[in-house]
Amino acid sequence: MSLFYLVAFLSILFSLLVIFTKNPVHSVLYLIATFFTFTIHYILLNAQFLAVVNFIVYMGAIMVLFLFVLMLMNLNKDTEPVKSNLIKIIGVIAGGALLVTLVGASKALQTSAVSAGPNSEIGLVENLGKVLFNEFLLPFELSSLLLLSALVGAILLARKDKKTQNG
Amino acid sequence: MNSLIVVSILALVVLYLGLFKAKNALLPVSVLGLVAALVLAVCEWNSGAAPIFSGMMHFDNFAVAFTSLTVVSTILILLLSKQYFEKISENVAEYYTIILFALAGIIIMVSYHNLSMLFVGLEIMSVSLYILAGIKKRDFASNEASLKYFLMGAFSTGFLLFGIALLYGASHSFDLSVIAKYVTDHPEGLNPIFYAGIVLIMVGMCFKVGAAPFHFWVPDVYEGSPTLITTFMATVVKTAGFAAFLRLFSICFAPLSDFWMPTLLAITIITLFIGNITALFQDNFKRMLTYSSVSHAGYMLFAIVALGATSSNAIFVYTAAYSLASIIAFAVLILVKEQTGSENFDSFNGLGKKNPFLALVVTVSMLSFAGIPLTAGFIGKFFMFSSALQEYHIWLVVLAIINAIISIFYYFRVIVAMYFKDAERKELVSNGYFKLVLGASAIITVVLGVYPSLITDLF
Repeated sequence: MSLFYLVAFLSILFSLLVIFTKNPVHSVLYLIATFFTFTIHYILLNAQFLAVVNFIVYMGAIMVLFLFVLMLMNLNKDTEPVKSNLIKIIGVIAGGALLVTLVGASKALQTSAVSAGPNSEIGLVENLGKVLFNEFLLPFELSSLLLLSALVGAILLARKDKKTQNG
Repeated sequence: MNSLIVVSILALVVLYLGLFKAKNALLPVSVLGLVAALVLAVCEWNSGAAPIFSGMMHFDNFAVAFTSLTVVSTILILLLSKQYFEKISENVAEYYTIILFALAGIIIMVSYHNLSMLFVGLEIMSVSLYILAGIKKRDFASNEASLKYFLMGAFSTGFLLFGIALLYGASHSFDLSVIAKYVTDHPEGLNPIFYAGIVLIMVGMCFKVGAAPFHFWVPDVYEGSPTLITTFMATVVKTAGFAAFLRLFSICFAPLSDFWMPTLLAITIITLFIGNITALFQDNFKRMLTYSSVSHAGYMLFAIVALGATSSNAIFVYTAAYSLASIIAFAVLILVKEQTGSENFDSFNGLGKKNPFLALVVTVSMLSFAGIPLTAGFIGKFFMFSSALQEYHIWLVVLAIINAIISIFYYFRVIVAMYFKDAERKELVSNGYFKLVLGASAIITVVLGVYPSLITDLF
């Protein structure tokens, strides 16, 4: 349990640092650290598959993408848009309303007995594969359509045309 | 199920035809394949007794009806594509493929029986549409449409997914019948996160169907996309969105209507007024049609607000009428824009004298949009209003009638421009496919208006 609290504290700390650092590259690096703590959370929850996917996809692929975009965008202090007072006031009101809602909701909360999930070993890769290829076979196969469509579309949009026309 | 397989394979076949440079075979193969899918879908009428593939999909009569409707609309739209895609670029086969992939996603969306299938179907459709919106690569409006649709769509999918996760947390299942059983088994003490899940799913679905206040992407995306793709979005995609929305709410959340109905009622009224009043001030015909599509989303929400036994029938009739009228309006817009280069109301001036046939079909379509008797649009509105009256939403119907009257004003601007304003113009030339689609859509619109019993007693 103490490990959970330590990791949870680190998660919150790193995500706060993401917001409060001035330098966008540092911000992304802290985001990577935040995702790493999430990976530890998944392992603590006995969800191996999610942990691995989170580690590879989020910490690896997506964060590299983020860094690339940041470097291409050339974020300097001069280009940062100045927010008008009206927007700041709107932000404060909206945030305050959200805070009131959250406080009200947390007052209505009550602790209940921990509801046992269908199977606590479900997060292991082996069990997940069994579920995926049994019960969820159809959506699993159909997601190939999604990937193929995105693939064809990405090539279609990225390729240079010989003949182009406006209008 | 069979039609889903046929459409998926058809998309791959068309992709290969493009690889082997069989340009002339693309359209005939696509249309023949879709006709086969239509026949297979109709053959499954009354045979889908139980969900298949461990409860993933349920091809009941609701799914058959909406699959047929979306396939027919897609056939009509593809027939209009002769000579259209060639002007954009050489990659015509890929355009057909992506439209067919989107249709496969739509068939999943109207026949799902598990929330994971809803998500997969919705994503296949949406990802295909993000691409289709941006196929005019050198056109800034098209780029903007694609990017805006992608960002907004991804955002709304987040809402939907969070809602689905909360429903799973409360009911321990993605299966619609298990969730419905969970709702009926706990009449008093539903887990609070279940309610949050319903609200988030409602937000996500309203985003997808373009209901106010989640409609901000609609005008820019519809206006910026190539007109034929806009036609697809306004007809097939909208039909699928409402079918999925209705399916979820009628199977799972019907006993909880006291909780979500007031919210949806407010959304409906806002949608009606924003759509109609903004459409009133448009000078651009295409932009007027996009706002009118927002307002029609409001009428279609009636079926969900007044959820009852007639809801699926009402939404089927309404979407059929609306799809046919939209196909006519957008098809004529394509022709007019080709000649005059403009999409304003003024470019329709004098059409009545030079092209009496085109003017006639546009008149039929506008009358159907406005809900004038003897057109399919009237039958659609009649069904919507009567199902709302059955649930005693009298004020809603009064507001909707006020809106219908407002809408008559802007739809008649087109008719006035065509018949009563003169302009020097040449006759519009259209190929045989256009005449076929326009004539067929107009005839079906009138026939449904005169003999509504052809499709009103389906369910």
